[in-house]
Amino acid sequence: MNYDWSVVWQYRQMLLDGIGITILLTVLTMLVAVPGGILLALMRLSSMPWLARGSTAFVELFRNLPLILVVYWAFYVMPMVSDIELSAFNTGLLALCLNVSAYNSETFRAGIQSIRKGQAEAAVALGFSNTQAMFKIILPQAWRRVLPVLASTWVALFKDTSLVSVIAVGELAHASMTIRSQTFRVLEMLTAMAVIYWMLGYPQAKLVDWIREKYKVNE
Amino acid sequence: MEFDFSPILENWRYLWGGFGITLGLSGLTVAASLLLGFAMAIGRIYGPRWLRWPLVFYIDSMRAIPVLVVLVWTFFALPLLLGISIPTFWAAVIALTMHIAPFVAEIVRSGIESVRAGQTGAGLALGMSKAQVVRHLIMPQAVVRMLPSFGSVISITIKDTAIAAVIAVPEYMKRSETLAGQTYHPVEIFTFAMLVYFIILFPITRLVDMAYRRWAFLGRS
Amino acid sequence: MSTSYTHRPGALREPVLNYRNITKRYGQFQALHGISLDVFKGEVVCLIGPSGSGKSTVLRCTNALEAINSGEILVNGITLPKDDRSIRKVRQRMGMVFQNFELFPHKNTLQNVAIALTTVLGMNVADANAHAARMLEKVGLSDKMENYPANLSGGQQQRVAIARALAMQPEVMLFDEPTSALDPETIGEVLSVMKTLAEEGMTMVVVTHEMTFARKVADWVIVFDQGTIIEQGPSAQIFDNPTVERTRTFLNHLGWSG
Repeated sequence: MNYDWSVVWQYRQMLLDGIGITILLTVLTMLVAVPGGILLALMRLSSMPWLARGSTAFVELFRNLPLILVVYWAFYVMPMVSDIELSAFNTGLLALCLNVSAYNSETFRAGIQSIRKGQAEAAVALGFSNTQAMFKIILPQAWRRVLPVLASTWVALFKDTSLVSVIAVGELAHASMTIRSQTFRVLEMLTAMAVIYWMLGYPQAKLVDWIREKYKVNE
Repeated sequence: MEFDFSPILENWRYLWGGFGITLGLSGLTVAASLLLGFAMAIGRIYGPRWLRWPLVFYIDSMRAIPVLVVLVWTFFALPLLLGISIPTFWAAVIALTMHIAPFVAEIVRSGIESVRAGQTGAGLALGMSKAQVVRHLIMPQAVVRMLPSFGSVISITIKDTAIAAVIAVPEYMKRSETLAGQTYHPVEIFTFAMLVYFIILFPITRLVDMAYRRWAFLGRS
Repeated sequence: MSTSYTHRPGALREPVLNYRNITKRYGQFQALHGISLDVFKGEVVCLIGPSGSGKSTVLRCTNALEAINSGEILVNGITLPKDDRSIRKVRQRMGMVFQNFELFPHKNTLQNVAIALTTVLGMNVADANAHAARMLEKVGLSDKMENYPANLSGGQQQRVAIARALAMQPEVMLFDEPTSALDPETIGEVLSVMKTLAEEGMTMVVVTHEMTFARKVADWVIVFDQGTIIEQGPSAQIFDNPTVERTRTFLNHLGWSG
C-alpha cells in the first residue's frame, strides 16, 4: 500500500478555503448566539408567563435534538413549509444559531441565577428598576461565571460546524471529503482532515482550560 | 400545505428497526465509554508517570476533533491501515467510544478531584492505606458527584449516534433520511424524527437537570 | 392590645411609617399575624425578638421587597403603591442596610456609593462622585475610596453600605440586622456610625440583636414573637421592666442582665 501525501499540498487552497468557512461559521454563529442566549435567558427569567414559557419551549426543544437532524430538517423542510429559499451555508448557519442560542441561554440563566438574591435586592432598595438592576449589577457579575462556559461552547461549536458538511457546505470536513472522492486518497485525506482539526482545535481547548483557571470562582 | 404521514405508518417496521439500532448503538457506546473513561481517569490520577502524558494527550486531542471526523476515519481509513474490513455498526461503536470515553474520563477526574483534598489527609491520618482511602472515602463521594454528568453522557451519546448516519449505519436518522429520499415526504418524516428524538432525550435531560439541582453543592459559587 | 404613647415623645411629630394589621404568609407558614405599629419622624425604633419572629419580614415589607397579604403600610400618610414605577419612587426615599452588606463586588467603594446617584437620579458622574466622597467621609472611610469590597473588612463594608444608602438622602433608614454578620471587633465601628446618625435626627428602624445598642440609642422598642408584637414601649421600660413574661425570657436568653 503506497501513500501519496502530496495530495494534501496539491489541494491546500481548497483546504484553506474550508478552514476559512469553518471559522466563519463559528464566528457568525457566536455573534448571533451570544446576544440570542442572553435574550432567551432574560425572557425565561421574566415575570411574563408567555415570554417565559415560549423561551423555555424553544430552549428545551433545541437542547433535545441532534444537531445533524436540525441541519437536515432546516435544509429539506424549510423551503417546503415556508417560501424562504436559503443557501446551504445560510441553512447550516441557521441550524447552528438555533442550537447554540439554546445552549447559551441555559449558560446565561445559570450564571444570572448564581448571583446572590441580595444583590438584586440591594439594587432595587436603592431605587433601581429591575432592568437597571439586571444590566448594571447582575449581568456584569454573571459575566465572569459565564465566560469559561462560553469558551467551552465555542470549541464545541467549532467541531459541530463539521455537521453542515452533510448539506454540502464547503467547510473543512466537506472540502476534505470532496478531495478524497476526487483523488481516491482515502487514508491520506481523512488523516489530514483529522490532523488539521487537531491543529486548530487543540490550542483552543488549551485556551479554554486557561480561561477556566483564570475565571475560577472561589467564594 | 398537505401533510401525508402515511409513509411513516406504512414503513413503521423499517423505522422501528432503525430506532432499535439507535438504542443498541447508544447502549453499547455508553457502556464501553463508561468503562474505558473510568479506566483512563484512574490511570491518569493514580497510574505511573509514563502513562499520564499519553492519556492526557489523548483526552485533550479528542476535545479538538469532531465526532464526524472520528466516525469517518474509523470506517474508511482504519480498515485500510489494518488491512481488515470493519462493519459500519462496529466502526460506529469504536469511533463513538473513542470520542466519548475521554469525556467520561474528565467527569470522573473532576469528581475525584473535588473530593480529594481534605479527605485524603483525614483518611491517612487515621492509618488507612492509600488504596483504602481511595476505595472507602474518595470513590463513594466522587461517584455521587459524577452521577448527574453521567446523565449528560447518555444524552450526548444518543445525539451522536445520529451522526453515524454519515457512514450509513442504519440507525434511526439514516433510515429517516433514506425513507425521505424514497417517498419524497421529507417534511413529515423529518418532523416525526424530531419528535422521536425529543421524546427519548427530554426525560433524560430533565432528570439530569433535577440531579444537578439536588447535588448542586459541588463546584458552585 | 392597646398602644399607649404616653411615654413616646416621638408621637408628637408626624408619622413616617404606619403599619395597619399586616399579615404575611409564605405558603403554609404565617409569618405575620396582623401587625400594627408606627414610626415617627426622628425616632430610632428597634425591632427585637427571637429568630423567625417576623421582624425582618416587617422591614422587608416596608420597601416592598416582600408583598404583604393583607393590611396597609402608609409612608408619610400615603398607602404603599403596588406598581413598579411608584414603588421605585418610594424606595428612593428609604435607605436599606442588609445583614450581608450586599456591596457590588465589581465596583470600588466610591462607585458603590455613587452608583445609585447616577443610575437612579441621573446625576452626572462628577457631582455623584463628589457627593459620594462626602458620604464616605461621614462614615470615616475616605481613605478606602479606590478599594474594592473584597479588600475591606466586614465592618468597613457595612459602613460603605450605610454611606451608599445615605447618599440618596432618604427620609428613613431601615437596618436589617446590620451587625449580625460581623466579627465582634468590627461591630463597634458600625454601631458608632449608627449612633451618630441617630443623634443627627435620622428616622431609623433597626432589626437587631445588639441589646446594649438598643437600650442606649432606641427611643422605642418593639418586641416580636412568632409573628406578633408581644410588647412595645420606651427602651428603658422594655429592658429594665418588661411587663410580658416572654420578653423577660427572651432577654435572659440573650444574656441581658439589665
